[in-house]
Amino acid sequence: MEEQDYVVFEAYLSNALSEDNVKEFEDRLASSLEFKTAFNTYKELSSFLEHKYEKEEETKAFQENLEQISKGHFESKYTLKEKKKNKMFALYKYAIAASIVVLIGLFTFNQFSNPVYSNYANYETISLTVRGGQSDLLKTAESAFNSGDYIKAEATFKDLLKLDVNNSELKFYRAITNIELGNYKLSDNILENLQHGNSAFKNDAIWYLALSKLKQKEYNNCLEILKRIPKDARFYEQAQELMSKLD
Amino acid sequence: MAEKKIHEDQKYIDGLLQNNSFIIKAIYDKFVPKVVNYIKQNNGDLDKAKDVVQDTLVTIYNQASQKKLQLTCPFDAYFFLLCKRKWLNELKKRTNKQVTINETVLSKDDEAQELALETSVFEEKEALFKEMFQKLGTACRDLLKATFKIKSMEEVAKHIGVSYAYARKKKSLCIGKLTKLVQASSKFNQLK
Repeated sequence: MEEQDYVVFEAYLSNALSEDNVKEFEDRLASSLEFKTAFNTYKELSSFLEHKYEKEEETKAFQENLEQISKGHFESKYTLKEKKKNKMFALYKYAIAASIVVLIGLFTFNQFSNPVYSNYANYETISLTVRGGQSDLLKTAESAFNSGDYIKAEATFKDLLKLDVNNSELKFYRAITNIELGNYKLSDNILENLQHGNSAFKNDAIWYLALSKLKQKEYNNCLEILKRIPKDARFYEQAQELMSKLD
Repeated sequence: MAEKKIHEDQKYIDGLLQNNSFIIKAIYDKFVPKVVNYIKQNNGDLDKAKDVVQDTLVTIYNQASQKKLQLTCPFDAYFFLLCKRKWLNELKKRTNKQVTINETVLSKDDEAQELALETSVFEEKEALFKEMFQKLGTACRDLLKATFKIKSMEEVAKHIGVSYAYARKKKSLCIGKLTKLVQASSKFNQLK
């Protein structure tokens, strides 16, 4: 390829060619394999670079979040089981035995009392600050939510949703916030809409709607909603457990 | 390709792309234990499994963000195949001798095979592009960085002190150079 060809590639990609030139260019793409291959590579490299630099911050935020989740997952799931089989174990033995006694106690106690919302609403801390621009508000919402300042979280979610009306993630966390605040009408309304939508939060919304009913002590409603949680939902097992307690 | 139906597990891809912690955690809870078991049974350990999983998720994220990755098979099959492939490559690198793995012929899910292959090719291309980018001269590298970070070419021109027309031409010539480097590499021709 000549230098001029690359200049034309760029012009074509940035829509800077005249109609006639576009036609000429596309004819050449269709007739010359060499030209076409070079253009495709050029285009691929362009999108590679665009992604690399334009989305550098988003990608970094993703990797950091991933690193944290990964660390949390591997530590809680495997480390205790696998890495600590050393002599320290003797010391832990008594502590473990003691906690088992306590756990059994709690377990039997739970069996005979009504299940409560706080036993099931174990949502993790959230991370919203992904996209560049609106990060200040998002940061406020995130830290308010994570620190349990639900009044502030609600005010911020409300503002954020004005800017981004269809954001299911924000809606979902706003609903949880309002369950915490006891604004059930609002929370349940949002969750009902989410469960009929197609977002990633669809199934989670059903689960939290059930938990909201649980918190309101509407046990029959809760039970009915739990039955709607599909088998592949991640809260399915917890839902089954809760159902067996409510039944 | 466009005709294929998108699998409902697309929600995991979208969740990764949105950096949604709920979804990422769900992926770890639901799909990662299988990968960990596989790697542990095939000459690996926990730390290796952790790296393989993380690298694979980053690759999926990059592909989704750059190419609108559309899942046409269950996430489980796709993700497992990718991790497995990555781990086998790692083993090959480590030992020169052939590694024998108890393999059940091919996966029953051809769709997943195809999609996983596509992602692997994407990943290798990315690595190659990065390598070739480093071979460009500093002037080109700086100009391209500036071009893609600052979106307006006028500002780029001002930033590096050249005329607008020159900056634009230079950009296409630099990507052109990179195109030549990539096309000349033997790896690229194997990837096609």
